[in-house]
This record gives sequence, C-alpha cells and structure tokens, in this order.
Amino acid sequence: MENVILNRLPVPTFRWLKVNEVSRAENEFGTGAENVIQPDDDARIEITGGRNRLVINAAENSRREAVVFISGSEGKTVVTEVNAAAGAEVKLVQVYENSGAANSSVNAEIAENAALELIQLYIGGADTVSGINAELAGRCSKFRADIGYLLDGTDKLDINLTARHSGKKSSSEIAVKGVMRGHSEKIFRGTIDFLKGAAGAKGKENEDVLTLDETVRSKTVPLILCAEEDVEGSHGAVIGRIDENQMFYMQSRGIPEDKIYEMMARAQIAQIAEKTGDSETIGRVGAALGGGDSDEQLYKE
Amino acid sequence: MSEEKTKVADIDRSLYDFRYEEDERDFLGSGITADIIGALSDEKGDTDWMREFRLRSLEIYRRMPMVNWGPSIEGLDVDNIVTYIRTKSRMNSDWNDVPADIKDTFEKLGIPQAERESLAGVGAQYDSELVYHNVRKEVAESGVVYTDLESAMHDERYAELIRSHFMKLVPPTDHKFAALHGAVWSGGSFVYVPAGVKTEIPLQSYFRLNARGAGQFEHTLIILEENSSLHFIEGCSAPKYYEAGLHAGCVELYVGRNASLRYSTIENWSKNMYNLNTKRALVEEGGKIEWVSGSFGSHVSYLYPMSILNGRGARAEFTGITFAGEGQELDTGAKIVHNAPDTSSYINTKSISKDGGISTFRSAVTVNEKAVGSKSSVSCESLMLDSISRSDTIPVMDIRTDKADVGHEAKIGRISDDTVFYLMSRGLSEEDAKAMIVRGFADNVSKELPLEYAVEMNNLIGLEMKGSIG
Repeated sequence: MENVILNRLPVPTFRWLKVNEVSRAENEFGTGAENVIQPDDDARIEITGGRNRLVINAAENSRREAVVFISGSEGKTVVTEVNAAAGAEVKLVQVYENSGAANSSVNAEIAENAALELIQLYIGGADTVSGINAELAGRCSKFRADIGYLLDGTDKLDINLTARHSGKKSSSEIAVKGVMRGHSEKIFRGTIDFLKGAAGAKGKENEDVLTLDETVRSKTVPLILCAEEDVEGSHGAVIGRIDENQMFYMQSRGIPEDKIYEMMARAQIAQIAEKTGDSETIGRVGAALGGGDSDEQLYKE
Repeated sequence: MSEEKTKVADIDRSLYDFRYEEDERDFLGSGITADIIGALSDEKGDTDWMREFRLRSLEIYRRMPMVNWGPSIEGLDVDNIVTYIRTKSRMNSDWNDVPADIKDTFEKLGIPQAERESLAGVGAQYDSELVYHNVRKEVAESGVVYTDLESAMHDERYAELIRSHFMKLVPPTDHKFAALHGAVWSGGSFVYVPAGVKTEIPLQSYFRLNARGAGQFEHTLIILEENSSLHFIEGCSAPKYYEAGLHAGCVELYVGRNASLRYSTIENWSKNMYNLNTKRALVEEGGKIEWVSGSFGSHVSYLYPMSILNGRGARAEFTGITFAGEGQELDTGAKIVHNAPDTSSYINTKSISKDGGISTFRSAVTVNEKAVGSKSSVSCESLMLDSISRSDTIPVMDIRTDKADVGHEAKIGRISDDTVFYLMSRGLSEEDAKAMIVRGFADNVSKELPLEYAVEMNNLIGLEMKGSIG
C-alpha cells in the first residue's frame, strides 16, 4: 500500500526538523465507499469509522451549526467542506474522543461579511492527522479557531492550520491550548497567510502548551507569510510548565503542586469545551477529563 | 517647498562597488573536480589528512542533493565557479608590503584606519587568501593567537589543535555547501584565547571578493579556553558583476567553560552574490555566545548561525537585522540547540522589506531531554515598506522535556498611522515622524555594535529622510 503525504507546510523549512509534511499508509484511515452527509439544518453527527464527507452550505445571511463527535478504534477519514455565503455565520464543533487513526480535514470558503467559528477538541487519539484551511476571500470575512488537545500515553496529533487572507479587512484568530503527558507527540503548524490585496487584514495566533512529563515531544510551527503592506499579524507561543508566579500564588492558597497541575490541565481543555455552549459536548469532554476533584478535595494532600 | 521625497533608500553600495582587474593567470581553473582540488592541495602544501579530507568532502558534495526548501539558487552555476585565486604576494604583517591595488581596496573600506583606532588585531582576505594579518603586541603577549588558518595548520604548536577541531562542528555531511567548503576551503583566520585571558578590544577579519564569477570559501576557527573572553568582528563585501558569485564560508566557534564570545558580522555582499555561509558555536558550562548580525547585501542569503548549548548554564543570544531591497531574497535567522540543564537562549530580530525585496526569518529552537530547567525566548518583528515586497516568518520549536520555558512572539506590519499621528501631534513633520520610527526599528542591532560599526551600519541602511511623502 502506498503512502500519502498529508499536512504539507505552506513554505518548507529545515528538513531535519521533520515538520514539512507527514506521511501515512493510505489504508490507515478507513476504506470503503464515501459516506456523504449534507445536513439542511443544524446537525449533530456521530462518526465511528469509514470515509466520510460532511458538507455545510450556509446560504446568505443564514446561521448554521454542526456538532460532530468522532470516536471508535477503527481508522477513519472525515472531510468537512464549509461554504459560508455573504453574511452567513457557521459554527462547527468537532470532538475527537480517544479515536483510532483519523485523517480529518476542514476546507472553508468564507465570503464577504461571513464568519466561521471552528472549535476542535482532541481528547486522546492514537494517530490523528488534521488539516484546516480557511479561505478568507470576502471583504470583512472572519475566522476564529479554538483548538484544545489532551494527549497521553502514545497519542499522536499532527495539525496543519492555514488561514489565507485575500479579502480586504478580513480577520483570523487562532487560539490553541494543549496538555501533554506520557510519551505523547504533537506537531502544531499554524499559518497566517496575507496575500497581496488583503489590505487592512488582521491575523492573530497563539498556542499555549502545558507539558507534564519529560517524555513528551511537542513541536510548534507558527508561520506568518506576508505579501501585503497594510496588515497586522502576530503570533505567540508558550510551551512548558506553569508560570512560577501563578504556581506561587496557588501554593500560597494552600493547593499542593500536583493538584495545581491537574487543575490547570483540566482548565486548559474545559475552557475550550465551554466555548461550544453545547451541554452534550461539555458533559462528554468533562467525563473524558475524569470529572476531577471537588474544590474541597483540591486542598487535601 | 522642495520636491524632495521621504523614502527609505536602498543601501548605498557605491563605497563597495569598485574593483581591480584580477590576474587571470592566477586561476587554477573553474569547476569542482578532483584534479582542481588536487592542484589546490599542492598549492597549499596540504598535509595528507587534509588532502584526504578535501577529496572525501568532494565525494560527499557530489552525493548530496541541492537545497530545495529555501530561496532559489538556480542562477548559481556552481560547476563553473572559480574556487581558488592565488594572491599576488605572501601574507604580510606590515601594511606597506601589501600590493598597491589590494592595499587601496582595504584603504577605501577603512580597514587600516579601524585597526589603528579601535581594534586589537586585523586580518584581511582578498579573494582566496589572507593578504594581511596583524595583532597588537600586548594582545599577542597575553598568549592570544590570531593568525591565518593555513599557516597555523603548518605550525606544530597548533597543528594538532586545529586538526581536532576543523569541521568537527560543521561536518561536510551537514549540507551540500558545507561539503563544497570542505573540498575547496581557502584562507580564513585562526584565533586561540588561552584560559583566563580577557581580550578587551575586538579583533576583526574583513573578507573582500574581487574576482569575477568566483567563490570565496574562507574558514574561521576560534577557540576560547575557560574564563576567557573575546569580541570578534567580521565584515564582507564585493563589487558587482553580472556573473553570480558565491560565498560559502564556514565559521566554527568553541566557547569553553565560563568563557564569553561576541561574534559581530556586517555583511554587505553585492547584489549578484549567493551567500551560503555556515556558522556554528559550541558552548560549554557557564559559557556565552552572542551573535550580532547585520545582513544587507547579496542576491540570495541562507544564513542561520547555530548555537549548541552543551554545558549547564550555557547561554546564547542572537541579535539580527535584515534589510532586503530590490532583487534580494534574504533568508536569515538562527538555530539554538539546548543540550544541557539550565541553559538559556534569546533571539531578537528585525527585518525590513522594500522595493520587491523578500526577507524571511527562519529559526529552530530545540530543547532536548537533558535540558531540564532551560529557557528560550524568540522575538521577531518585520516591517513592510510597500506592497510589492514580501516578508515571511518561519519559526519552529521542538520541545522534548516538560521542565522548560519556551516563549515566542512575532509581529508583522507597516509603519503605524497612529504612531505617526501621535508624533505629528508632538510637533514633528510626517516625514520626520516616519524617519524616527524606522531608525528606532533598526536600533536593536546598531546599539550592540562598536560605535564605528554602528555608524557604518547606519550608512548601509542609508535612510534618506527629507522632504515630502512619496
């Protein structure tokens, strides 16, 4: 079986870093006929395997929402197409729950004054390869992505997100929060690409990674590509343990160190889940996080 | 009102854009063949190990693929480059003995004047060979060795030291142009600073490529023993030709325990040059490497000094500025490898793109499993001065431990209207306000340089700030 190249970085860099692309066996991500899902209204979808295509067409000035749960040990492919016509608002929530190998892609066309809000949560996952491409072609088009991941054991996550600004005054905001334990591995590639003509565009990107074991491996690749003078782009990344001042404050409130890490790890993911505003998502993610201690228990050694 | 325009001008290269006819009989011939490399070894009187090293590097060069991830180097005809040009005289330590045209070149570049006024020692390389090397008496008496690498290799006091360090940090297998360097290297400096010696005033090497369609492949090897310190300055320039020139030098820096090395570079190659230089430092426990880098010239640059922090508490700082104008694609940045506990690194860069110039900031910060308690901070800012230019930021952070703090921030944009408005409300004209902002943007590097070089850098940036907005 041949390998396929996925998650190619828009502009390659040093080869020895091994971040320019990933290669996977073609059959790792499910086989068989493609299952096309094209909901007419708000949708709640469960995917447990196979090859799937979800198409969301939001008409002018409409509002659409889809919540997709991806789980099961079987390999799977989930291709999502979003077409947000002028003035449309689309909210897409994708929750990966300890899924087997998964190849996910989101391709979005965002027209004038349209907006896409994408929330993705990766709770575990044997081998997830996720590509996101948002085309901000319309004037004042908007894209916001909130991504959370909690990886443990030998979980593997490979994300390649690109926000391509060609529309004037388009804006993108990408916020990523992650927690890594065990021997988990992650690559996050985030690219803000300002094309010529995207005058007045703004792009902002941030990744905050909490690493809790010395055996984790985290790679962060935040690109800004710019061919237009009149833009504002920024990116930031913080990788490591909890800030010393934050730790000192919480210890001064009587919370033991191991509990602080547990609490912060849960908070990283829970705050992304809260953004969905969807009670089922919040409940399922909360259960996956293990419920955790009550406030009272937090203060006990 | 005059019709003067406010503009950020291209770098004025007229100071560097003069040349003398090279003596073509001095060429060994163009191309990269075993025969030419053998002839080069004969010319240099290479020892057996160096002859073998060159030929082994040639084999590696032939095997390795061409770089395919950065700016295009298709305009470079490597197979027909002239790799070696014999000098007209032996290396001199008396300026009066240097041939007139070569002396005139360096006089125009201000090298002897700088030596008299502010340097502890100077080396000047013209095409493939060092033509002048001198070090102040008191510096030499402290045990500091500053000489050309080739004669040091033949000196029994240093031969073994050089053999054990030469291309160990940058092996020929590193990349195709490192292999090429291993095969055809020529010239360059050797510096050795004994334990405990603090060199208060800088040493400088200046590299001038005069010949048409040629390459310069100098090798700089600096070894600092423990508790020593040094500031080394490197300057580069060439006149403009229609044929592409190649600079594939190599810099290897060994910083001992608690030693401190500052390596400053002002690079102003002409716009037909391909600058594919490799620089690397190995820093032991408590040691520190500081890179100060100004990249202004060349048609294409690939330049990412690497710092390997190998001992507990070792530190690296990189401060750089890149100015890409018309016809230039400057791909610059830094690489840091944290290999030991409690190491720290700081990268701070600025880049300016104008008139269709492309500037790319590229970095790699790797924190390995052993680097517990390490910290790294990367900050890069890019200024776009028009919409026909391009500016890209491509950083990578590879973290393999839980006990590290790694931060990164980057910004890209143009001169802010709000800032201009504020400065104008304080009484400045729009022209002066913009001039002030651009000067301030470049300030991070100029303040790190010795005064004479800061003045040269400001000269290079050539900011013309007069008259009405254009």
